Amino acid sequence: MNKEVDAAYDYQVPLITGKPTFGWITEKVSSIVESKTSKEWALLFGLASSVMLILLGSIGYLVWEGIGIWGLNVPVGWGWAIVNFVFWVGIGHAGTLISAILFLFRQKWRTSINRFAEAMTIFAVICALIFPGIHVGRIWAVYYFFPVPNQMDMWPNFRSPLLWDFFAVGTYFTVSFLFWYTGLVPDLATLRDRAKTTIRKKVLAIFSLGWRGGNKQWKHYELAYMLLAGLSTPLVLSVHSVVSTDFATAVIPGWHTTIFPPYFVAGAIFSGFAMVMTLALIARRVYNLEHILTLTHLENMNKIILTTGMMVGYSYSMEFFISWYSGNPYETFIFMQRAFGQYAWAYWIMVSCNVFIPQLFWSRKIRRSIPAMFVISIFVNIGMWFERFVIIATSLSQDFLPSSWDYFSPTIWDIIMLVGSFGLFFTLFLLFIRFLPMVAMAELKGVLPQADPHHAHEGEAH
Amino acid sequence: MNFDASTYKFTHAGSVGKTSMIVGALMLLLTAVGYVSNQEIFFRAYMVGYMFWLSLALGGLFFTLVNHLFGSEWNIVLRRFSESLSKTFPLLAILFIPLWLGMHDLYHWTHTEVVVKDPMLSAKSGYLNMTFFTVRIIIYFGLWTFISHFLHKKSLLQDEHPSEELIMTMRRFSAPFMVLYALSTTFAAFDIIMSLDPHWYSTIYGVYFFAGNFLFVVSFITLFAAYLKSKGILDNIITVEHYHDLGKLLFAFLVFWGYIGFSQYFLIWYANIPEETIYYLYRWEGSWKIITMTLVLGHFLLPFLSLLPRAAKRNLTWLGIVAGWIIIMHFIDLVWLILPNFEKHGVHLSWITFTTLLGVGGLFFWNFWSVFTAHPVVPLNDRRFEASVKFKNV
Repeated sequence: MNKEVDAAYDYQVPLITGKPTFGWITEKVSSIVESKTSKEWALLFGLASSVMLILLGSIGYLVWEGIGIWGLNVPVGWGWAIVNFVFWVGIGHAGTLISAILFLFRQKWRTSINRFAEAMTIFAVICALIFPGIHVGRIWAVYYFFPVPNQMDMWPNFRSPLLWDFFAVGTYFTVSFLFWYTGLVPDLATLRDRAKTTIRKKVLAIFSLGWRGGNKQWKHYELAYMLLAGLSTPLVLSVHSVVSTDFATAVIPGWHTTIFPPYFVAGAIFSGFAMVMTLALIARRVYNLEHILTLTHLENMNKIILTTGMMVGYSYSMEFFISWYSGNPYETFIFMQRAFGQYAWAYWIMVSCNVFIPQLFWSRKIRRSIPAMFVISIFVNIGMWFERFVIIATSLSQDFLPSSWDYFSPTIWDIIMLVGSFGLFFTLFLLFIRFLPMVAMAELKGVLPQADPHHAHEGEAH
Repeated sequence: MNFDASTYKFTHAGSVGKTSMIVGALMLLLTAVGYVSNQEIFFRAYMVGYMFWLSLALGGLFFTLVNHLFGSEWNIVLRRFSESLSKTFPLLAILFIPLWLGMHDLYHWTHTEVVVKDPMLSAKSGYLNMTFFTVRIIIYFGLWTFISHFLHKKSLLQDEHPSEELIMTMRRFSAPFMVLYALSTTFAAFDIIMSLDPHWYSTIYGVYFFAGNFLFVVSFITLFAAYLKSKGILDNIITVEHYHDLGKLLFAFLVFWGYIGFSQYFLIWYANIPEETIYYLYRWEGSWKIITMTLVLGHFLLPFLSLLPRAAKRNLTWLGIVAGWIIIMHFIDLVWLILPNFEKHGVHLSWITFTTLLGVGGLFFWNFWSVFTAHPVVPLNDRRFEASVKFKNV
């Protein structure tokens, strides 16, 4: 039975393996950003930023030529741009869940992953915001979005979910950024104290906001952290709920269903965790973080992936059941088309990747197998992109007027913009792991046994 | 009643159980009189009172499952409460029989002559028909009974032969049980309540039903623990830290309930499709409007504000008042879910609802109390028991 007992089941077993000291953690995490730039990093950065440049270039062409360069057609007025938007917003949710909800739930294992999950949130939201921005077509008129007085007496329609999106995602970005930055302050101060060159010290001194690590400062810091966690918690639910209203407030069959808000939230957390998993596994390998990011952490994340995957599966089945139960021929038609019509291939990719494949995580062996979880996390990433594609494309391509039905085929620009957004994401992510501590050192030290005031030193009687 | 604090067992359970059984039996007799005197409204009135207790047992089952699944320590001292609550499913299955007999009065879709003429209803007659309905109800109660008995048995075994194995078994089984629980509760909500209006549908309905059940069970556990405390039982076992966490759960699920209720309302309001808006139209008719607004304010806004400060969750009196309030609101919520399907012009609460409430409730509580007092009231030999007692909110 002993093999079963580990940190997931017993809080007596330390979360961080290898009996580390405080100093070891500081050294381990700081050395990553302090060491010389490695060739591999430079190579990856070059690759990612080149792909990002493709995105920027194609945005330029899009602005010049108009959104006609995409595969949009008359019934399918929302194509990959909106799919990508929802996809990227969803990716961000894992970070907020880990930093806010797991914090309130006293899940101490979150400390090993929260920093880069939060960073991912911010980068994913940046990627997301690009797409509705460029989708407006006339980008020079994008300020119509903002409720600012202008000479044309134009005022945004506050009853439009697209406007709520603007506020929801904007708030989300702001709060996530503040949360991330607040958590960074003590760690930036650590880096400042270790800095060898004057410039480095000066710059870090500015960003660490005069942190000295005094008792009072910690007290304020912890209060601020808790308040931000409280503020972020409703945001985890609200952002993707609002995104879901882009669809669910419409009367389009397949879009208008009451389970959409929680369904989208569960899906967002699901996809976000999969992305965290993909990146965490790579970072763990490259920077030898095996003691900090243990199998227990990974297994916990896999359990969340399994749970949220089941929630998504629950929503798929409810949608399908109710579409039949409603007796509404339009609803039934759309769902039959999804499963057996021209987009059946996409639908079954979605169901396989999001519902069937994550079922493998019922097995503890697979939950703890690095190659297996890496592959599954990629499947989930693919599946969740397809989920948004299925929702958008199937419901639009066969609308109420059969004469206008059309099939959506992406153009080369659709494809390279999706790929390019990954370039942007990885560029930002690589910059982050190069220049900022990717593990929250101060928080991690807090979960070490020696941080507990009742901790008995080894060998000493207590 | 006498309680042995060293073995955590009641040596003498007192008259509480017997009293509630007698009250329950008498009230059920009165309810039966109601059937004779007022057949027309009997079944709907009975349903409201009955569903109230069914929702508590369902909430209890979820509380136990989630306790095992999360492996959290703080609520281990409360596990026997929820385990005992969900041991009432066999009793509730028997008390479901009146509803089954009243199917024809309750469910429009049982009228074959109407279904034939109605294309929407004939389309779903493969699901909404008496045989399949009966089969499903039997499956639900069978599942719930099986799951709750299985987990309770393992938990009691732990008192005699504590082992790591048992903790793992309960945890391992709770995962598939949770899946079964989610599906059965959802479809039970569809079948028993949503199909009262067979034309109307909402994909979120099961989640809404679940949210209310969970609020009920957390409130009940809070109040019941406070009751035991007033008798000096488990006084230093269930500490203010546990109440604080119960308060946090209440707070979180109030928001969840509001979120789910709002999602349903808002999407239907915005899309404005007559087939769907009719649901809220019924509930905006005459005095139903007052009930609807009461839910918005009383089931969400007021308790939300009153549980917001940390101090409120650590003040036992205050927490108790809010928990009692939430239970009343949950009852009103069930009234709101069930009765507007029949009473189209305004609220009409029959006395039968209240005799059922006390009748089913009396037997329910007697059943719960007998199970609860027959065994140690905490899983005292669980390895994490001591940690659960000592736990502190940081």
